[in-house]
Amino acid sequence: MPGPVTVFSAKKIITMDSAVEEATHVAVRDGIILEVGTLDDCAAWGPYTLNDQFAGSILIPGLIESHAHLLDGLLWAKAAYVGAIDRRDPSGKLCKGVNNIPALIGRLKEIEARMPDATTPLVGWGVDPSLNDPIVPITRHDLDEVSKTRPIFLLHASCHIAYVNSPTLALANYAAIKAPGVLRDASGAPTGELQEVAAMMAAIKAVAADMIGGSTDATQFFNFARVAQARGTTTIVDGGGSTYFEPAFLKAALAATAAPDFPARIHAHNNGITVPTADDMIKFAAMLEGKGNDKLAFGGLKILVDGSNQGFTGRLRPPGYLGSGANGLWNRAPDELKELVPALHKAGLQVVAHCNADQAAEAFIDAVAIAQDQKPRFDHRHFMVHGQLLDESLLRRMTALGIHATLFSNHMYYWGDFHRSHTFGAFRAAAMNPAATALRLGMVVAAHSDTPVSPVDPLLTMWCAANRISASGRVLGAKERVSAYDALKMMTFNAAFLLHRDHEIGSIRVGKRADFAVLGHDPLAVDPTAIKDIPVRATILGGRVFPVAD
Amino acid sequence: MVDFPERGGRGRLPLTVIGGYLGAGKTTLLNRLLTQTHGVRLAVLVNDFGSVNVDADLIANRDGETIRLTNGCVCCSIGDDLAFTLHDLADRADGPDHIVVEASGVAEPNRLAGYAASHPRLALDGIVVVADAETVRTRADDKYVGDLIRLQLASADVIALSKTDLIDAEACRRVRRWIEGEVPRARILEAAQAGHFTEFLFSGRTQPPRPACEGAEDHRRIFATWTFTREQPLDGAALRATIAALPPAVIRAKGFVSLAEAPGRRFVLQLVGSRWSLEPEEAGTAPAALSLGRSVVVCIGLADQLDTAQLATLFAPTSPSVFPPAVAALLRGEKSP
Ligand SMILES: [Zn+2]
Repeated sequence: MPGPVTVFSAKKIITMDSAVEEATHVAVRDGIILEVGTLDDCAAWGPYTLNDQFAGSILIPGLIESHAHLLDGLLWAKAAYVGAIDRRDPSGKLCKGVNNIPALIGRLKEIEARMPDATTPLVGWGVDPSLNDPIVPITRHDLDEVSKTRPIFLLHASCHIAYVNSPTLALANYAAIKAPGVLRDASGAPTGELQEVAAMMAAIKAVAADMIGGSTDATQFFNFARVAQARGTTTIVDGGGSTYFEPAFLKAALAATAAPDFPARIHAHNNGITVPTADDMIKFAAMLEGKGNDKLAFGGLKILVDGSNQGFTGRLRPPGYLGSGANGLWNRAPDELKELVPALHKAGLQVVAHCNADQAAEAFIDAVAIAQDQKPRFDHRHFMVHGQLLDESLLRRMTALGIHATLFSNHMYYWGDFHRSHTFGAFRAAAMNPAATALRLGMVVAAHSDTPVSPVDPLLTMWCAANRISASGRVLGAKERVSAYDALKMMTFNAAFLLHRDHEIGSIRVGKRADFAVLGHDPLAVDPTAIKDIPVRATILGGRVFPVAD
Repeated sequence: MVDFPERGGRGRLPLTVIGGYLGAGKTTLLNRLLTQTHGVRLAVLVNDFGSVNVDADLIANRDGETIRLTNGCVCCSIGDDLAFTLHDLADRADGPDHIVVEASGVAEPNRLAGYAASHPRLALDGIVVVADAETVRTRADDKYVGDLIRLQLASADVIALSKTDLIDAEACRRVRRWIEGEVPRARILEAAQAGHFTEFLFSGRTQPPRPACEGAEDHRRIFATWTFTREQPLDGAALRATIAALPPAVIRAKGFVSLAEAPGRRFVLQLVGSRWSLEPEEAGTAPAALSLGRSVVVCIGLADQLDTAQLATLFAPTSPSVFPPAVAALLRGEKSP
């Protein structure tokens, strides 16, 4: 027995369907779109309930965050956000960025004052002094101003650095730890900055043991989905580091996402990051195939090829990093890729490859070329994540081999100035994340936030792709700006295509899931520089309304 | 010969990093390390657990990604978090005498070596980088990994040249000369020899192997030891200069020394390849028979390369002179200060 029909009215419905672009009403039954058109068109399906609470709003397809990490949800659950960038927490509350040390100390003091006892460690996340003004290191002396008795532990936005106060150094016995990443002042005393895991480990064990992965805490899933939903996201990718193949973790994920009020769909890549061999990757992927539910699906196998550009660990072709000429790190050897990628490709899997800089991209493309040579496959939809330094020749090879991409357009805003002056220099900073060229060559391109690296906000990502404006206001690579329409398509249909789900999500079309974002303004009509400021009123997921608090 | 005490207990826990690019032969070396009779309870942490290939009759038991061998060694997978695994081993009362960590093929061994300082007990003993004699030169010019291969070689305290049986003697000499040019003062062993050197590379002990096991003859022919003994405390600065100048033929050295600058204390000298340390002794690690004030340093190297006369000359200035420093320098042929 089919369920009742609900008709949503809107000031304008932007379908992102290539045949029918606009409508005013959409009829939904059992979570599926029944009709798109006028109220009369919808009435042709029989009795309905009219929901006109969004009659003054713009309805677009639910936005898709094509690359993010569940870690975002765990950080919100276990630590206080104290970064330089404005972020909204899972309850919708705006956490204003603190971008200098006095402001950071002030924020920490507020948090400290609210803590119920005197001994629980204060754990924070999201700190990034490179985004501060002025850029100066954070030391234990700064944090001791907050408390000389309570341990404090702040995690850098990259998760590769921690800042701690004197009580943490004492508790974790840093007097006996000589790791080179423990920075020291002229007197030989630790400054409080701990670089990389080897240096951080003792502090993590002493004061932040629950920050270590593998948590089965249900809150992390809710937080992850809620923060994204508040900015119009209906589907968010968990990009590959999670361990769904562990029964306890899978059980927790299934239980959380099965709740009727779970606010978004999670599309989880299979883990090719911590799983070392092709055999195990294939085994785990097969094990998880179809194991999801309505709001949890598994697809794509994520591998890491290099590191991060702002961390100077991306693998660059010559001349390398600006000034030093240095190069970054391989996470998988190119010679290993030549066997791993063909093995996954032959097993029928979709390979999702993290390639931040261009040499990593080239090595991955070489590996796919070998795979296609050994076993030609159409429509495999292997795609690259980040692809920040792709140029036309790499893009052409990718289109020839059927490789698509989700670009890291948020970098243009958050790190554009940094890349121009510290990592790539003027030309390469202007040529980063070449969405316009990629689209022109016929590649299916999306863009992403990589949260917790940058905040998940598909409208902001869309704005980045359309404007390419850095934090200081400089336009980087005007030729690679895309139209608002193309930018919106990157965040909807194209992202769905990358996930092999364009038949069910990514546009408003009869027969697809009723996943919508409800906006205060028309993203195709406003000045493109205003796209990021468009309010999100609600999302509709499978026909159910999930409000957004203002 | 002074018999140094076995490691273990709560003291310093040495850690050796084995690096080298994909396919260089790290696994072969690790398998050999695990199964040899060497009297050291090694914990070997590997990247790819599936590649560990140990005879069934040497396995005491197997539990998930951990194999315990009848010789007291364990082999386990590094898992998600190396720091966590290392701290677990260091905190354990029944932990190993020595930890060997296999770096992944793309790792810069220096970065991993940082983990040795992440726990008060752990101490970096040395970095051994395995290089494929047949392919290392070509790989060092590869556009994708050339820089990585060179970085790996440069970070090595000892380079273990593998697959030397696949090339002729002249090609082998050429690749050794090339490495010596790339990495000045490189300590180069053939990986097969490195297998024989397990006692020295991975134990921290310095007595030669007991001739009980088969192949002892080989051991004797391959290595030589030279011992330096003094009854008077040594000149610390001169000793440091001597150690820094030891020829590449010295692969390993260890000693307990007394220094004139710190009477009443004893120091421990550790050297693996080009890496060395001279640190105050933890109470109770020196042999009971070794009287305070006496110094013993044992150097071990390849028999065909170790020049004992040269070593004697190098160590001569470490004994404080009875003359004032300026006169002593003149006597050593140095310019007056
Ligand atoms: Zn990512």
